[in-house]
Amino acid sequence: MEATIEVRGLRKRFGSTVAVDDLSFTVGPGRVTGFVGPNGAGKSTTMRMIMGLDRPDAGAALVGGRPYRSLRTPLCRLGAMLDASAVHPARRARDHLRWLAHANGLPARRVDEVIEQAGLGSAARRRAGGFSLGMRQRLGIAAALLGDPPVLMFDEPVNGLDPEGIAWIRGLLRSLAAEGRAVLVSSHLMSELEGGADHLLVIGRGRLIADTRVEDLLAAASDGRVELRTERRREAMTVLARAGATVTTSGSDALIVTGPTAERVIELLTGEGVAFSGISAHRASLEEAYMELTKDALEFQAVAGGEAR
Amino acid sequence: MTAPAPPAPPSYRSTVAGEARDGFGRLLLAEWTKLRTVPRWTLTLLAAVVLMVAVAMLSASDSGSSGPEEKRSPTAQLQIIDLGHYTYLPLAGDGSVVARVTSQDGGGAWAKAGLMIRGSAERGAPYAALAVTPGHGVRMLTGYRRDGAGGGTATAPQWLRLTRAGAAVTGYASADGRAWRRVGSVRVDGLRGRALAGMFVAAPDEVEVRRVFGGEIISGKPGDTTATFDNVAVSPPAPDAAWLDRGGPGGPAADPALDGSTRSGGTFTLKGTGDIGPDEFAPDVTKATLAGAMIGQAAIVALAVLFMTAEYRRGTLRTTFAASPRRGRVLAAKAVVVGLASLAAGLVAAFASVLLARPLLESGGIAPPPVSDPAVLRAVVGTAALLAVLAVFALAVAVIVRRSAVAIAAVLLVLLVPEITATGLPVAAARWVERVTPAAGFAIQQTVTRYDAAIGPWAGLGVLCAYTAAALAAAAWLLRRRDA
Ligand SMILES: Nc1ncnc2c1ncn2[C@@H]1O[C@H](COP(=O)(O)OP(=O)(O)OP(=O)(O)O)[C@@H](O)[C@H]1O
Ligand SMILES: [Mg+2]
Repeated sequence: MEATIEVRGLRKRFGSTVAVDDLSFTVGPGRVTGFVGPNGAGKSTTMRMIMGLDRPDAGAALVGGRPYRSLRTPLCRLGAMLDASAVHPARRARDHLRWLAHANGLPARRVDEVIEQAGLGSAARRRAGGFSLGMRQRLGIAAALLGDPPVLMFDEPVNGLDPEGIAWIRGLLRSLAAEGRAVLVSSHLMSELEGGADHLLVIGRGRLIADTRVEDLLAAASDGRVELRTERRREAMTVLARAGATVTTSGSDALIVTGPTAERVIELLTGEGVAFSGISAHRASLEEAYMELTKDALEFQAVAGGEAR
Repeated sequence: MTAPAPPAPPSYRSTVAGEARDGFGRLLLAEWTKLRTVPRWTLTLLAAVVLMVAVAMLSASDSGSSGPEEKRSPTAQLQIIDLGHYTYLPLAGDGSVVARVTSQDGGGAWAKAGLMIRGSAERGAPYAALAVTPGHGVRMLTGYRRDGAGGGTATAPQWLRLTRAGAAVTGYASADGRAWRRVGSVRVDGLRGRALAGMFVAAPDEVEVRRVFGGEIISGKPGDTTATFDNVAVSPPAPDAAWLDRGGPGGPAADPALDGSTRSGGTFTLKGTGDIGPDEFAPDVTKATLAGAMIGQAAIVALAVLFMTAEYRRGTLRTTFAASPRRGRVLAAKAVVVGLASLAAGLVAAFASVLLARPLLESGGIAPPPVSDPAVLRAVVGTAALLAVLAVFALAVAVIVRRSAVAIAAVLLVLLVPEITATGLPVAAARWVERVTPAAGFAIQQTVTRYDAAIGPWAGLGVLCAYTAAALAAAAWLLRRRDA
C-alpha cells in the first residue's frame, strides 16, 4: 500500500463556502487518475488537505497509509506541484531545488538528476523570476520528482501550456504511472485529460460525482445513441421528434439521436422518405461525457443546496 | 480509444528514500540556503554592517572636530567619580578598622559616612567600604558601583567594622558595639600587600533633570556632608604612623569649610563633597560609537521580515511545509538562521565600529576605553546579540501579520517610538517607557551607569528577549493552527 492516496469523508468549509463536502476516493498505483471539476469545485483544496497544508473540518487523507504530517521525509513519499509560480523570483532554479533537497537530506546528485529529467538544462542556472510559464512548470515538476516518490500530485499542470508542452507532460505522466506510481492530476478541462488519464474522479461543488475508469465512462455516455448523417436535417429531426426521440445536432451534417435503436431510426426515415448518407453507433468524446455528468450534478447540487438553506 | 488497462504493476518504491535524512540540522541547512541564495538579502546584511560602521566613523570624527583638547583625567576615562574625604592610616597586611559614626549631617539620602580599606590614595584605586547613609541603611560598597550590598533603615549613630584577609574584606555593623551583624563581604581585585584603612565621607551631587522635546535641562550643585566618628581603632596598630588626609582635588575641595578633617581627643569630624561611585554624567563613548545599531536595525528587521513574508507572498511556504510538515521546527530553524546571520553581521559591524572609531576619537583628544574592558566587550558583543534577538522578534511578528510592510512598520515603530517620545516625557515616565518596551534591549550598549539609565544592560536585553519569546510562541501557535 505504498503508492496510494486515500481520502475518507473529507470536508472543508471557508466561511460560508463549502469547498469540499464529504469527499472519499482512493488513488491507486500504476495509473494516471484525472481529478476533474469546474472552477471552484474544490480540487486544489482537496490536494492541500492531502498534503496537510489545510486542516480538514472532518475526515482524513492518507498517503501510502499514513497522514502526510506524520511523514519524516515526505518528499520521498509524495511529490507535488500545486502552484508552478511558487518560487522566489530572485533565486536560481538550481538553488530552489537545493534547499528542498537539503530539507529532506536528499543527496546533491538528485538535483542534477531532476534538472535533467524535467528538461530544465542550462536554465537551471538562471533566476526563476525570468522563467516562462513552461519553464516554471518544468521546475515545479523537477521539485515534485526530487524524492523519487511513489505518489505524485499535479494541480493543473498543463494550464496555459502550448500543445508541445501539453504533449510532453502527458507523456511524462504516462511514463511515471507505468513505473507503478500513483499519479493524480487535476484539470478543469476534460479535454486536457483526453488520452492522458486512465481513471477519473469528477467533482462538482466539493462533492464526488463520478469515480470511474475512463473507458466505462465513455461506454456509458455512448450507450444507445445513434449518429446520423443527412443533408435533410430539418425533415429528419421532425420525423424523429414526432416518434419521441431526442435529437441534437453535432457538426454541420450530423445528428445525435437518443431513444430509438438504429433499426428503428432507419425504419422511420425510409417510411417518410427522408434520405440519409450514413448511420452509426455514436462514440462520445470525453468532453461530452463530462458535460453530461456535470449537468446532472449541478442540477442535483442546486436542489440539495436549496434544501440545505 | 483507450486500450484496456494492463494489470496494475506493483507499487513503485522511491530509490532515494534510503538516503533521505530528517533532522533539525538539515532544516537549518535548507533555511540557510534560502537566505543566501537571494542576493538582495545578503546585500541587506552587508548594508547593515556598512551603515553601522559609517555612523560610528561619522560620530567619531564629529566629536573630535573641535580641535586638540587637554587630555581628560584618568578617572574621567574610567568613567567613575572618586571624591569625598578620606582620613587614613597604613595597613600593612591583614587587619581591621573599627569606628562609631556618631552623627551624619547633609548630603541627602545617599550621603555616606563610614570606613574604607583601599589600595592607595590614588584616584580610582581599588577599595572596599562600609558606610551608613541617612536613607538607605548600612551599605557595603566596592568597585565604584552604585548601591552595594546591605540596606535596611539603620542610621547614625552606628558602629561599623571592616576586616581584611588578603583581598577579602568583610563589613559588620552594630547598634551598640557589642552585638555585631555581618553586612557583606567583597573580594577586592588589586588589593594586595600594603593598603590604607580609615574613615571617609562622600555625598552625590544634587541633580535635577527636566526634559523638554529635543533636549533636557540638567541643573545640579555638588553635595556636601559632614560626619563625626569616635572609638576609632585600626589594628594591628602602626605605632609611629600619623593620620593622613585625602580630599577632593581642586575646586570646592580647596574650601576648608567644605572639605577637611579635624580631631579633638578621640573624635574625628570629616567634611567632604562629591561621591565615590560611577560617574553618572560621563559621556558613554562606546555607546555613542555603537549608535549606528539604531540605523542598522532597520536593515536587519527588514531582512528578517522579508525572509518570512516572501514565503507567504510567493507561495513557497506550502513548498516548505510540504518538505517539512513539522511547522514549529521550521519556525525554529528560520529563527536560528536569521538570528545567527544577524549576530555575525552585528559582530563584524560592532567590532569594526569600535576599532575604526578609536583612531578618530584619539585624534580628537578623546581616549576611548579599550575593547578588552569588560563593559566595552559587553556592549560590543551585546550589540550583535541585540541585533540577533531583534531579527528573531521581527521574524515572529512577520509570521503573525504575514505582510512585509505592516510587519516592518510595526517592529520599527515599537523600537523607535519609545526612544522618541521618551525625550519629551518627564524623566520618571520616560524611564518606565524605556524599561517596559522592547527598546529596552538597547540598554546592553551602556558602558557607563548614567543618571538617565532606565534599566541595567542585561535586564534591558532580558526585556527584549521576553517580548521575543512571547512573539515567537504566538507565531508558533498561529503557524500550526492556520492553513498554509
Ligand atoms: N483560502 C481560501 N479562503 C476562502 N475560500 C477559499 C479558499 N480556498 C478555496 N476557497 C474556496 O473554496 C472553493 C474551492 O476552491 P478550490 O480552489 O479548491 O477549487 P478548484 O477546484 O481548485 O478550482 P480551480 O479549477 O479554479 O482551480 C472555491 O469556492 C474557493 O473560492
Ligand atoms: Mg485549483
